[in-house]
Amino acid sequence: MKQLVVIGNSAAGISAVEAIRKVDKTSKIIVISDEDYPSYYRCLISYYLAGQVREEKLLYRSESFYKENNIELRLNRKVMRVEPKRNRIILEDKSQLSYDSLLIATGASPKFPHLAGIKKRNVFGFRTIKDVKEIEKILPVAKNACILGGGLIGLKAAYALKKRNIEVKLIVKSKQVLSQMLDYKAAGFVQKKIEENGIELIFGQDAVEIIGDGELKAIKLDSGKVIGCSLVIVAKGVSPNTDLVKDTPINVREGIIANEFLQTNIPNIYTAGDVCEGFDLVLNAPSVNALWPIAVEQGRVAGQNMTGQGLKYQGSLGMNSLEFFGLAVVSLGIFKIKEDDPNFEEIKFLDEKQNIYKKLILKDNYLVGAVLVGDIRNSGVFLRLIRERINISSLKDKLLNENFGYPEIMDLVNQKENLYV
Amino acid sequence: MKQLYYEVKKCLGCKSCEFACALTHSLTGELFKEINKEDPSLPRKKVLFSKGNNYPVSCRHCREPKCVDACMAGALTYDKEKGMVLHDESSCVGCWMCVMVCPYGAIRPNIKTKLPLRCDKCKDKDEPACVSACPTGAVIWKEEA
Amino acid sequence: MADIQAKSIDLASQEALRKAREESIKTSWDRLEVQKPQCGFGQLGLCCTVCNMGPCRIDPFGEGAQEGVCGANADTIAARNLVRKIAVGASAHSDHGRDVVHTLALFSEGHAHDYDILDLEKFKSLAEELGIDTNKSKEEIAKELAKRFFAEFGKQEGELLFLKRAPKKRQQIWKKLGISPRGIDREIVELLHTTTMGVDNDYKNLINTGLRCALSDGWGGSMIATDLQDIILGSPQPVRGKVNLGVLKENYVNIVVHGHEPILSEMAVKASQDPELLRLARENGAEGINLAGICCTANEVLMRHGIPVAGNFLQQELAIITGAVEVMMVDVQCIMPALQNIASCYHTKLVTTNPKARFPGVLHVEFQPERAYQVAKQIIRLGIENFVNRNKERVNIPKYEMDLVAGFTKEVIFQILGGRYRATYKPLNEAIISGRLRGLAGIVGCNNPKQTHDYFHTTLVKELIKNDILVLQTGCSAIACAKQGLLIPEAAKEYAGKGLQEICEAVGIPPVLHLGSCVDNSRILTAASCIIQEGGLGEDLSDIPAAGAAPEWMSEKAITIGFYFVASGVYTVFGASPFAVLGSKNLTNYLTKDLESFVGGRFEFCDDPLQMATLMIEHIDRKRKALHLRPLMYQ
Repeated sequence: MKQLVVIGNSAAGISAVEAIRKVDKTSKIIVISDEDYPSYYRCLISYYLAGQVREEKLLYRSESFYKENNIELRLNRKVMRVEPKRNRIILEDKSQLSYDSLLIATGASPKFPHLAGIKKRNVFGFRTIKDVKEIEKILPVAKNACILGGGLIGLKAAYALKKRNIEVKLIVKSKQVLSQMLDYKAAGFVQKKIEENGIELIFGQDAVEIIGDGELKAIKLDSGKVIGCSLVIVAKGVSPNTDLVKDTPINVREGIIANEFLQTNIPNIYTAGDVCEGFDLVLNAPSVNALWPIAVEQGRVAGQNMTGQGLKYQGSLGMNSLEFFGLAVVSLGIFKIKEDDPNFEEIKFLDEKQNIYKKLILKDNYLVGAVLVGDIRNSGVFLRLIRERINISSLKDKLLNENFGYPEIMDLVNQKENLYV
Repeated sequence: MKQLYYEVKKCLGCKSCEFACALTHSLTGELFKEINKEDPSLPRKKVLFSKGNNYPVSCRHCREPKCVDACMAGALTYDKEKGMVLHDESSCVGCWMCVMVCPYGAIRPNIKTKLPLRCDKCKDKDEPACVSACPTGAVIWKEEA
Repeated sequence: MADIQAKSIDLASQEALRKAREESIKTSWDRLEVQKPQCGFGQLGLCCTVCNMGPCRIDPFGEGAQEGVCGANADTIAARNLVRKIAVGASAHSDHGRDVVHTLALFSEGHAHDYDILDLEKFKSLAEELGIDTNKSKEEIAKELAKRFFAEFGKQEGELLFLKRAPKKRQQIWKKLGISPRGIDREIVELLHTTTMGVDNDYKNLINTGLRCALSDGWGGSMIATDLQDIILGSPQPVRGKVNLGVLKENYVNIVVHGHEPILSEMAVKASQDPELLRLARENGAEGINLAGICCTANEVLMRHGIPVAGNFLQQELAIITGAVEVMMVDVQCIMPALQNIASCYHTKLVTTNPKARFPGVLHVEFQPERAYQVAKQIIRLGIENFVNRNKERVNIPKYEMDLVAGFTKEVIFQILGGRYRATYKPLNEAIISGRLRGLAGIVGCNNPKQTHDYFHTTLVKELIKNDILVLQTGCSAIACAKQGLLIPEAAKEYAGKGLQEICEAVGIPPVLHLGSCVDNSRILTAASCIIQEGGLGEDLSDIPAAGAAPEWMSEKAITIGFYFVASGVYTVFGASPFAVLGSKNLTNYLTKDLESFVGGRFEFCDDPLQMATLMIEHIDRKRKALHLRPLMYQ
């Protein structure tokens, strides 16, 4: 009997085992997780902290899921090393586990900058349910928090803490929030919302020291400014959890490099999710696109291929959606180009009064990116135009019309419709 | 299982289906009352125009629904037997991932309620409200081909 | 059959509807079902078809378009749509009025031999009111009157003659607001002008122009029609009659007159008694000729001759469905296009008579005042000759009819209350002042298949008379209540509150007074003016403890009537669906709240008859309080 091992118990891992079990009911499947919590909706942790989602709603797959699908789940077990030559993995307790086929879906971890005091108590990452539960514990005594980083995680943490009546300051090194998904203009709308809702933004400065004797007292910025706080969340991005393949023949750049079958360079080792560096459709190059829906997609393809289905993964692209104090924002693919770059074309719509900003980026009559603020209708249609690489020269002037929608692209997409559904 | 189809040539763009949809999903059920509410029920279907034709656009309940994959809150599931995507409002957090990935642009965000607007085939009724609302018979409710 | 009970409370109508179903004949109720759901934009007044950049629609849910191509918002679009209807309603009543003046003019020139001046007393008093020398001959006075009234339509300056009938204070209010109508046609044209693309974009200003136009109907076109009809055809006097489909007679040639203008139907009354035609009827196997009316024509011939009423607006199709109607002769307004098709299912001949209102393929016998009697006879002869074509097996006349008393006018109310020789409103005013009567209500208007037929009218009226409110009625509303037995003196005992009962018994009137057709709503205005003149109930029409309602309205004319009542200071409740204005919150507030502060009256929209009654009673009580009247005697 074959033994399939999946490292990682989140979106990619679960999606993979589901895909495997669809066609293969007999092989032994072992899922290993370094968290001690059953599989959960990771993206909901900020909603949980905000008090908007109850704990039981976090559960992604119940215990019975593993039983029903005959899956052995090993929680709280960290994999230290993969040994491709011996087809086995070594766990933290030095135990070994062999596999016929392996999926590495270890996800990513918050990047902690090297600065004095970063190891102090009450300095947290914002990635796991454990992080959030610990943060929650100190909320009754915490008054004010500093969040390092103005990315999506930082914003979500800020939102959650604000909802719990904590005074929040967001320290952003660059000149804008969400610099990895929005242009300066779009970020402006989000910043306005943030500030309107009583969260302070500090731009162009970075923390240099976390101050306090044992207990956290304040943080010091590179400007010399010292801000008192009783809670720090470090949200300066994540890095793929690739330690377990260090010093192995498995190719790693930023993440573990996957081919179009989501295979690593070792044929019986696959990778998916936030740790996977797959093909980026827009950049036309390998890239890590860490996002829940992508992890689900990749996990499924990897799982199918672990059962020998030989499916190609068409690739992913950077995208994200965000709802912030009633402002909806979507970013797809390329969101920012160098000024006057002749290779690109921009189509924009702006209504400051209504807080609507829409920008599409085209290259050679193909859509390669979009930023939508305040009006995100049809973002799925734009995503489709990007993914399916549809020449939109005939559509350009319609894309941002109030009534634009799927019917306008119907005869361009590769889909036969005998009767319109 | 039954599915909604449209005879596009018959659609005059009157938007009666939109009204019927909004009202059947409202608590008041009455147009005059509903439009005066702070967050009125909004149609889950929109009639869009393209090249001389009108197209009602609403969730198609895809067999491999991208929205279900994208849902990071477990609010969306695909019910094979019913042939439809089910939405559990109590689990939804309004992250708009489903809006972002719907290849038909058939899901719109309702910013006020923070819930996506998507067709539920009027699940507790014999047939969707838009079917009888259509004055020209352009909305067809029949077994899936 | 529960669904048929939901369509109408009237048993005769229910029976006719059952027959229609058995015979697979579609009526307005069936067509309404097919129309459902009715367009939401239309219901809310948010669809604009004014110019060819549109049609434009405003999204009432706030998501989509909030302005049309030209930039017009919900307020402008809904207001324009509404006031266009005022203009149409005013044009209908006023054009009717113009035709009556025309008949008077023809008479004065000796061209309308079939007519005469039948109410000389009113003729002279009207001449005096206008300062015409009454020593001249009848024809000369008539000529002068016709000239003056024709001028009312084409006048460009000054103000309409009848505005002077209103209390001084009311006239001042109109003047101050700049809504005293100058000439009838001018007000209609000007109102239409303001609604064309790119003229008036201020919903308040549009409504004010609409108020002026509506006044030109109530105190102009309609009032002229009423007064001149009284003069030419004779003023109504209290008269007993019968009402409902049961008035059609099985062995008679049944001629139904339907529409609005009494000038021709009056001749039909005469012709139905013509010995030559009666003989012809007998030769054709009938026992005689039975004339009956539908809608306002019915009210006109009822008021003057006690001709039976076959039904109100929604019964026009049902009358034909009885299978017993030989001819339905129609003129203008409220004539359903469906009649042609329904008539073709039976032997019934539909005959149009007015050059303004024709059906393709329907027999047209054009009415001319110069040969009025001849035309009437010709049509009745058609009916007699058609009697042999009646399929007796398909005849089913519901055996429901009810007695009623009609024929109350401003003058009659004087007389019955004060006696013929010392006609006065004093007893009426005193009844209100003393608290025996709570107040007055005008309940008018149409039927509408969106509501249970007659239910709103009768439920509201019963509730009002129970609360000691004397109800004045016109049009299809009066017919509705008549069918339920509310228009007989005996109804006072059964339905009226104690105070109203005492009055009804003392003078022998029903608790609900039938004042005539829709143009006769002008009688309510003049009666109210007389009440103010009598004294003790304030200085302005808006001071009177009174309210109005159109519970089952459907016509544009109802909107115009509503507007001239509100412009005259009356609190006016509309049932059925509200005007198509709810799509604009501003406009709705203006109509239902703001207007009261300067015209004294305002609109209310309400879809429950008992709630309507409560609202009207509360309003009447507020007015009583403002006048410091005595507490009610019996409540």
